[in-house]
Amino acid sequence: MNDEEQQLRQALKRATETDPAPPAFAAVWSRAEADYARSKRRYTWIATAAAIVAVVVVGLKVSTPVPDEPSYIEMAELLDTTSWTAPSDVLMPEYQFDIYEDLPAVPRSTKPVEGALL
Amino acid sequence: MRDGDALENNPEVTRSALEAIHSQVFGWALSRCFYDQAVAEDLMQTAYVELLSGKARFDNKSSLKTFVFGVVQNLARSRYRRRASRLRLVKQYHATTPVETAELEEPTSDSALWQLVQALPSRQRDIVELVFCRDFTVAEASAVMGVTTGTGRVHYDRAKKALRKQIEQDDTGNEL
Repeated sequence: MNDEEQQLRQALKRATETDPAPPAFAAVWSRAEADYARSKRRYTWIATAAAIVAVVVVGLKVSTPVPDEPSYIEMAELLDTTSWTAPSDVLMPEYQFDIYEDLPAVPRSTKPVEGALL
Repeated sequence: MRDGDALENNPEVTRSALEAIHSQVFGWALSRCFYDQAVAEDLMQTAYVELLSGKARFDNKSSLKTFVFGVVQNLARSRYRRRASRLRLVKQYHATTPVETAELEEPTSDSALWQLVQALPSRQRDIVELVFCRDFTVAEASAVMGVTTGTGRVHYDRAKKALRKQIEQDDTGNEL
């Protein structure tokens, strides 16, 4: 630090010497401790209350028996919601496949195998 | 090993170490709140609560004094932000009524030099105060302000230049 800075430092130190005296450390510290203890207690209370509410809600939910209500299935409604198609339906004319309407003519066999015609 | 008076949630901080820097921290807190003593006390109390609860945790990366000054600085800054947003809300609803800024008082010191420092931009004012009045190095002061050492150095140099210029102007003014 050069001379100029040293002079500035001394002048500013003198200027701030008029700052009011600080409050006693013990007083500020004890207030801070009380504040901290209070906030800790408040947090504990909130956490406890939340836990109690949660336990009560879960307890009520568990302890209340849920009645088994009979349920009916309407056959007509059930059938409306389902459909079934046979796998062979693709062979039907509306699928536009060539289908056999008559038996095809099978040519007579002329080739003997082991003394008999096939 | 933990000291006898070490804080439960801040084992690196002892009550006696805090007591040793108490008056310096108070001076800093005072300058953070426009020399309102009640607010400064409140700031210090809140800073101690932060240390007690471990919300502000000291890990020996800097000196305790730098750390506590930083805590006070952050608390003052967030207090100022809260206040500013409240003032904005008030202004929004009472657009025609002038809003008083009660705490924006002049510093108690009547020194001409101190007045010059107070007239500097806030960052420059802070670094001058930390280095010249609170015995920090530029690096430590930068840490308190939450800026890099390089940035701190720039503020420091600008502040010195501005002060020098002001002092010279005052001197020539007095001579005339």
